[in-house]
Amino acid sequence: MKPDTEQSLISIKTTRQDHRIAWLTALAITIHIAESVFPSPLPGVKPGLANVITIAVLMLYGWSTAVWVSLLRVLVGSILIGTFLTPTFTLSLAGAVSSILVLGLATLLPGRGLGPVGYSLLAAQAHMAGQFLTAYWLFIPHEGLFGLLPLLMTMAVVFGLVSGLIVMAMLPRLDGKTS
Amino acid sequence: MPIPKNSKQQLRTRVLSLLLIIILTSLPLSCSKPPQQHHKTQFMALGTLVTVSLWDVDDELAAKAISAVESELNHVSMTWHAWQPSTLTKINDALATGATIPADPATLSLLSRARDLARRSDQLFNPAIGKLIALWGFQSDDRPDAPPPPKAEIERLLANLPDMNNLIIEKQTLRSTNMDLKIDLGGFAKGFAVDQAISSLQEMGIKNAIVNAGGDLRAIGAHGERPWRIGIRDPQSAGIIATIDTGDDESVFTSGNYERFFTYDGVKYHHIIDPRTGYPAVGTLSATVIHSDASTADAAATALLIAGSENWQKIARQMGVSQVMLIDSKMRIHMTPEMNQRVYFRTETKPEIIISDLDTQSGNQK
Amino acid sequence: MTRADIFVIGFTLALLPFLYSTYWNREGPAETAHIMDQSGREFTVPLSTNQQLSIEGPLGVSLVEIKDGQIRFLDSPCRGKQCVHAGWLKQSGEFAACLPNRVSITVSGKDALYDSINF
Repeated sequence: MKPDTEQSLISIKTTRQDHRIAWLTALAITIHIAESVFPSPLPGVKPGLANVITIAVLMLYGWSTAVWVSLLRVLVGSILIGTFLTPTFTLSLAGAVSSILVLGLATLLPGRGLGPVGYSLLAAQAHMAGQFLTAYWLFIPHEGLFGLLPLLMTMAVVFGLVSGLIVMAMLPRLDGKTS
Repeated sequence: MPIPKNSKQQLRTRVLSLLLIIILTSLPLSCSKPPQQHHKTQFMALGTLVTVSLWDVDDELAAKAISAVESELNHVSMTWHAWQPSTLTKINDALATGATIPADPATLSLLSRARDLARRSDQLFNPAIGKLIALWGFQSDDRPDAPPPPKAEIERLLANLPDMNNLIIEKQTLRSTNMDLKIDLGGFAKGFAVDQAISSLQEMGIKNAIVNAGGDLRAIGAHGERPWRIGIRDPQSAGIIATIDTGDDESVFTSGNYERFFTYDGVKYHHIIDPRTGYPAVGTLSATVIHSDASTADAAATALLIAGSENWQKIARQMGVSQVMLIDSKMRIHMTPEMNQRVYFRTETKPEIIISDLDTQSGNQK
Repeated sequence: MTRADIFVIGFTLALLPFLYSTYWNREGPAETAHIMDQSGREFTVPLSTNQQLSIEGPLGVSLVEIKDGQIRFLDSPCRGKQCVHAGWLKQSGEFAACLPNRVSITVSGKDALYDSINF
């Protein structure tokens, strides 16, 4: 996929930054698809590894770009796996929306604010909580579901920490190449 | 250095957003419920085992509630017991002499309710046949496996069988026009007692409870977030045939031929006597009624068991009960569509179910 | 890492024990399964009788097997079959669900079968 050929087809000037965002979105979609085969005690509820990209984008390009990358990831990802408009899609969307909302609020924090690990943990927890409550409200209002909550939240914390550390390692490399 | 106004506002937004994050991330926790208490107490009353279940009631109130229920049930027993000395036995003795006797408003109102239910049941629920019940030996706590009464004696009573229309209620007095009239409120007193017990609980501010008197119950409220779950016993085994989740305030009453009986010469004689034949009702193993008040449910369950699987619809309609289930001797289930919505069968093979709609039916179903 | 990061890490870690103590109650072996279908109706089945149950959902029929005091999804018309991979439920409080077919199962121990018996 050469940028040149694309430019000749549709004459929109794309910047280096646009390309980077496109690549990051593609990467997010890849992770989303890889994650879809991840076994979870509650089908459709995922740890949210794709948040790695959301947080990297958030820190590099700001919240509104992160919103786009995240929503695009859910949309394209589920179309590619074939879960579009199924409960799985609804849950992914719920996870993405809740984590993006929490991240949006987190960017408003005073002082130096949060680093990648803090963002990632918050995003992972919001992601899980959003999915869990959506599953409970929309699909299976079964009290027994709450028995899974501790396990799922532990999963969220572990993956949130891991994602945060990945972002931390990733950022300096991405950062150097931007501007 | 004074802080400029807009940065003050910014600070406020930031603090608010921090709070919001904390609220959002701990949202799942907010769904948590405080640990609630489930009290279950058993005691003997009304000649049977009574179980009171309470949900979300503290220990102190629970103890008060249990004793209130106990005294309520004992009061009903002392007033309406059919064979141990009670207000009712005194009334029966007086009526048998042909006297006109004064009675208090509570007694009169209960008797006229029983009379009304009896009329609506086409006298299948007949509380006036105490003599017939006594003849069969069921006016005792434990009927021995002795022979059934002679046919001639049953027929003698049937020839002049009293019903509640023979009881004249006038200006706070009672009088009988049939000297064989002997009131026995089996099939009604238990329901009445359960109703009284539930209202005493409600007066104490208790919202979630079950009062179960020997298998017949009224449930109010729920067991926390889920409804109270009632198991209905299989008339032929000790197991559970179906479950029902009760609504906010409902009574579940079953009359069954397995509850009290004696066996003689290999024949089983149960305690629900068909006033038309003078013998135990045949053809139906059990009749279950769900209704708001327990008194009506009790009388209806008795009447419908006697009516049987062919004729129950008319009686159910007249008595104003819409949730009815009969199990006949071939283990076929007869029910109303309203009941069908409520029961979940737990048997391994789904039983044969026959549904009759009361509203669209004009007469007896063939 | 910033001070806010440390705060967030502390907060999330503190949350976990709380969640476990509130929702994690595994008390002995399961005796009863509570199955909820797409209508939201919950029904209760004892684990003492070996049997197979078919539960209708929007995608088709989910097959549930009860054997030797345990219960599992035998088959379900969903794609990932994660409900089937969840395996046997045998400890009180365990849970499995086929979300696409809206069928969920939780198991509980003694005394949870009925609140009262009618006869």
